[in-house]
Amino acid sequence: MSLRSARRLHPELRFLGLAGPGVVFIVVSLLLPLLSIVVFSFWRTESYELYADWNLDNYATLLGEAAYRTFFLRSFVSAAIVTFICLICGWPIAYFIARYGGRYRLLLVLLLAAPFFTGAILRITALQGLLGPIGLVNMTLTEFGLPPIEALMYTQVASGLGLVYLFIPFMVTAIYLSLVNFNFELLEVAKINGAKPWRAFLEITWPLNWIGTAIGIVLVFIPCLANVVTPRFLGGPDATSFGMSLSQQFGETGTWALGSAMGVFLFLASFAVILAIWPTIRLKRSGFTGAVSQ
Amino acid sequence: MMAAGRRIDISAAAMALGLLLLYLFLYAPILYVIYTSFAADIVWPFPPSFTLTAYEDLFASSLYGEALSNSLKLAFGSAIISTLLAAGGAIAILRYRSRRRGMVLFLFIAPLFVADLLIGISILAFNARVLGLPGNLISAMAANAVQGTSFGFLIILAQLVRYNWNMDDAAMVFGAGPLRCFAEITLPTIWPSLFGAFLIAFILAFNNLEITFYNLGAIPTLPSVAWGSLRFGLGPELFALAALVNLFVFAIFVVMYGLMRTGLVKFGYRGQ
Repeated sequence: MSLRSARRLHPELRFLGLAGPGVVFIVVSLLLPLLSIVVFSFWRTESYELYADWNLDNYATLLGEAAYRTFFLRSFVSAAIVTFICLICGWPIAYFIARYGGRYRLLLVLLLAAPFFTGAILRITALQGLLGPIGLVNMTLTEFGLPPIEALMYTQVASGLGLVYLFIPFMVTAIYLSLVNFNFELLEVAKINGAKPWRAFLEITWPLNWIGTAIGIVLVFIPCLANVVTPRFLGGPDATSFGMSLSQQFGETGTWALGSAMGVFLFLASFAVILAIWPTIRLKRSGFTGAVSQ
Repeated sequence: MMAAGRRIDISAAAMALGLLLLYLFLYAPILYVIYTSFAADIVWPFPPSFTLTAYEDLFASSLYGEALSNSLKLAFGSAIISTLLAAGGAIAILRYRSRRRGMVLFLFIAPLFVADLLIGISILAFNARVLGLPGNLISAMAANAVQGTSFGFLIILAQLVRYNWNMDDAAMVFGAGPLRCFAEITLPTIWPSLFGAFLIAFILAFNNLEITFYNLGAIPTLPSVAWGSLRFGLGPELFALAALVNLFVFAIFVVMYGLMRTGLVKFGYRGQ
């Protein structure tokens, strides 16, 4: 082997050495498990045991029974609305932190992540405590002789508010990570050339940060679609979500095969959303315009 | 010129207000948790009365200490795995022009597109039915590290995109080995992003319910204890424990603020 070819081989080996462990890890602990539930979704469960006789019954049940359709549509619509609200509220906040946060930027972002140190269950219970019939909001209203806000007590609205509460930090962080690499001087150039601020935003800031925004949308939409805890505690009796039903198959009822089919369906739905967003991604307009240290 | 300047001030002020409102929204339930941990009466009473019984019960019970220590172990292990794998992937992609870059990039961000619940149940199904392994701390660590790796990867990638690899090449030219070069040139510049990746992975694993729940068997963690005690109503001890955890986190933030304020440690910020 000549010295030259040894040199050419080296970077590829180093690339594999660095990225390889992560790739193997993700294949073993993400792809193979997903593949295994795809297989189980074509099997049959009987009294908590899986049997390998191949059939399509689970999918027939899933698509045939109206209850599952309702659960899915409910989860899908609420995830879409929640994602939209997070997007509208998250953008200006991420923009503010990236542009005006100065040396405290990291701290301002970490302050958004810190609530996660208190588990989702505790925070959702606390939110229930604040919004519920005997919670702070409604008790204060009653104290002043006003009627309580019924929309906040065990309804879809309360459940949606809980989802916004849990997932808006993901949206802000994703947009922020994109904006940190955005060169704000481009906006000065646009201004000098006579562009109004909104036009500069629509034609420069938004498209150049679309990848970060799209990641934010996916990061909020997918967990919302699968959420179990929030509708269970805030949603009341008519809020059973697809995720709640899915987790029951692996818990109380022990129907793993049907649960696997639901999991596959959930995965396909998430994948469809990603496929819908994918054509809008142009890596060349990634927005890594090189932030100058502002 | 002045009018434009003022308009920017107004929009910046409006965005700052939005940020404040978001903080208020995010922290209201946490303040409520802290309040409840001291309250003698859980139903919103006027005037409020305070007691420390929740804290006495917390320290008297061994369950919560065990749950906390399991959660810490889980989060620490998961964050270490995530940060190492993510850093390797991010550096490989940015530094080497391999043909496999696209594939590696796709694999590293793939876990973000799979819901927690799905990761939890699929790893459970895989471990229990294919490998025949019972749930344990190691499998829960690995399961939690799946998403942690993706988040860490994105964080490190976003920060490292501007890193100048010529510095490393220069060091190598002068005879530094790859390890020494990493420790003396790369690490001092990129550590804030590694720290950020570690922190996010830690936070995610520390409080994850859905992935942990399905992969930990009967070992208690904070979220699973919370989940389990929901049947009888959340104990005030849990609120007390959450209050203590928050106290600790905010102590760290105050220290960070001090370091940033004095400019002693810049956490990756390159201005003055």
